[in-house]
Order: sequence, then structure tokens, then C-alpha cells
Amino acid sequence: MARFQVAAQHPYGPSVGQLVDRLAALPGIGRKSAERLAQHLLGCDEAEALALAQAIQDVRHNVKHCPNCFNLTEDAECEICRDSRRDPQVVCVVEQPKDLLVIEATGVFQGQYHVLGGRISPLSGVGPDDLNIAALVRRVRKQGVREIVMGTNPTLEGDGTALYISNLLADDNVRITRLARGIASGSVLEFANREMLADAMKGRQAF
Amino acid sequence: MSAEKTDGLILRVTDFSETSRIVVLFTREFGKISALAKGGRRLKGPFESALDLLSNCHVVFLRKSSSGLDLLTEAQLIDRFRPQERDLTCLYAGYYVAELLQNLTEEYDPHPELYQAALEALEDFRQTDQMRRGVLRFELVMLREMGQLPDFETCAACGGELTEGRTFGFWVSQGGLVCPECQREEYSQITIHAGSAAVLRRLSGTGGESWRRLELSPQQYKELKRVTTAAISHVLGRRPKMLSYLP
Repeated sequence: MARFQVAAQHPYGPSVGQLVDRLAALPGIGRKSAERLAQHLLGCDEAEALALAQAIQDVRHNVKHCPNCFNLTEDAECEICRDSRRDPQVVCVVEQPKDLLVIEATGVFQGQYHVLGGRISPLSGVGPDDLNIAALVRRVRKQGVREIVMGTNPTLEGDGTALYISNLLADDNVRITRLARGIASGSVLEFANREMLADAMKGRQAF
Repeated sequence: MSAEKTDGLILRVTDFSETSRIVVLFTREFGKISALAKGGRRLKGPFESALDLLSNCHVVFLRKSSSGLDLLTEAQLIDRFRPQERDLTCLYAGYYVAELLQNLTEEYDPHPELYQAALEALEDFRQTDQMRRGVLRFELVMLREMGQLPDFETCAACGGELTEGRTFGFWVSQGGLVCPECQREEYSQITIHAGSAAVLRRLSGTGGESWRRLELSPQQYKELKRVTTAAISHVLGRRPKMLSYLP
């Protein structure tokens, strides 16, 4: 019995069809964009196209999670964990490596990070055991962490994850803080929404 | 496509692309809807920060005539669900409300009373001591609105009044409580005391707010929860995911 053919038939042949299928499966790329990218790869220099294939292969083979903070790295430990100028006793907890990058881009945080790998979302079947929470607790106790900065997303599930972790560490001698919320610098009060203003008022600081 | 305005509770938010999201809402006038929020991941825009789980919002959406997703064009936050601080159980109770609304309602099947009951339940979950009663009340309103509320007034087997007897059985497939004479070992493994049955009647009733004055003992809560769990699981065809997170 003939098997069901998944890849769409392409006028240039199955190889191009497969490439279009693979590209179209990437986030943010629709069928038309995938077709355009495939046309580009067919038309460009062969070395350029193969360099892309090699880069994808290298990334998949060489990049792994740091055993300490679960950031992405090509070395035994990530660059941040290796940096002796960073304070290992202050740890910022984030959901994903991309969140780490945006906080790191601010250049103001001098501690280390811990990447959870997601957030607790029971409705989507993601529980605490599916995240790097146990490793965080071990790290807090072993590394003598004195402050945890909750850098989870300010959503219900992000806050829920932060709450779960803070309850877990309630008996440890560690200060738990979270990122401030409220109005952005450079904006005007008139256009700030009610919730932003309420958060800003609740989190007001000494001047 | 016609633009519709309503209030809705967000049940699920899924990232769709770099900037867009798919949002499932339970609205007052239209029941459950699924809509694409273009630019819903951006901080600035017509949604601001309203698109979060269990947020109640004023929304404007374009209704698609085909079977595709509706298009959400505006969302303005009315109220964000804020459970009792440091109490995860209240948070999980909120998730449970979202799970039931998502799984037990149909698209474009409006239930304004259920929408109101959901808002009231979320309000109750802001205080730990009202959480258990709030969960039970919401489950019973949900069953009533779905037309699946078990009979707590008369015996589901013989039709007699449930006034006598110290304990009653709950026979889920028969649709209600059974009197002591009709109880059979093979049909019902859930038994509840007469006092708990009276509480069930008040909690599931439509007459005003008298249920808010009810104080549940731990034993009563345990009995009532077994009844509502059995009824909800029977309608859903499985045990709800969030039940394992609730007391």
C-alpha cells in the first residue's frame, strides 16, 4: 500500500518541495516567504547556501545548556558563569535564554542568571518538574545565594511561577525581589494606562 | 465581517507569530470565541497589556463569516485576576475556572450568567477562606448552565423526596442523589450526609446571594467536592487537569 506523501509536490522536484516545507515550518515564515527563500538558496552561490547548512549543523551539534544556569553555550560553562567579576550570590531567574539576553543588554545587572526553560502552566501540561526549578534550589543552597531577582514575565503564569519558587525558598535565608513595574522613563503620565500607574504608585521609591 | 463589542474573560493566549497571538475568550454576549490579535505581543498598540490569562476586558472583534478565527481589534483591561497573595491554591482555582470554561462551553453559545459566575468566582479567589466555596459554586453554576445539574431535590431512582435518611448516595449516571432505600453498592460509591445535601441545594440555587452566607466544614467540603468532581468529570469525559492542584 502506498504511504501518504507528506511533502507537497513541487514543480522543481521533491528536494525543493522538502526545502520549502522545512522553511515554512519555521516560526514567522509562511509558504510564500519559504518559496522566496528557497528560490534565493537555489540562485545564490553554492558555497553560501552550504555555509548556511553548515551553520545550522554546527549550532545543533555544539550549542548546549550551561550545567549551572541553563543558558545556551558552546563551552563547558557559559561566559556569564565563568566571569569572576560577576556576583554569584545574586541570581536573576528568567524563563528563556532570550530573556537573559534582553536583561544583559541593559548592562546594569552584575549577578548571574538562572534559566527556567519556561513557566509553570498547568493548563498546557507544564508543571514545576518540567522546569529547572530543583536545580535552582540546589544552586541557592550550594552557592550561598543571598538574593534572587525574579525576572519572569509579568503575566499571571509568570507571576505564578515566581510565587511557586518564592514559596519553595521561604525557609532559606535568601532575599527574593522582582523586577519593578510601572511607567517607562520618557513617557508621560497622561498616556500611561491605569494599571501601569497603579503599579508605579505601589512600587514608589524614596527620592 | 461585522464589528462586535462585548466584555470577555481571557481563557487562553497562544503566541502565533513574532507579533501576533491567538486568544480564546469567554464573552458575555457571544459565549466562547477564538480570535487572532495581530500585534498582540507588542507592548504598544490596541491591546496594551490586556491579553493575559483570566483578564477581563472590553473587546472589539470582527466576526468572520467563515469557520476561520475572528479578528480581535481592540482590548481594554477592566480587571486583572489577582489571587490571594502568596497562595498558589487560589491561583490554581482561577486556572480551573479557565479550564472548565474552555472545555465545557461551545463557541458562540452565550451564557451571561456563567460569565457573571466566573467573575464572581475569581473575585472570591482573592481571599483564601472563600476559595473552596467559590469553586463549588462555580462548578454547580457551570453544570446548571450546561443543563447537566444533578437532581438534589428528589431521589434520582424512585423520585421520592429526599427529606428522610441520614445519608444519601450520589448516582452520577442516573443524574442525582438517591435515597437510602434506593442505594445500591454497585451504583454509588459516593455518600453524603443530609446536611451536605442541603448545602448543595443552596449552593446550586438561583435565588439570590444566600449561598454566600454558607460556612462549609472540612467534612462537608470533602463530600460536596466528591459530588461535583464526579458530575464534572462525567460531563467532560475525563477528570479536569487542574483538579489535582486543588484541595
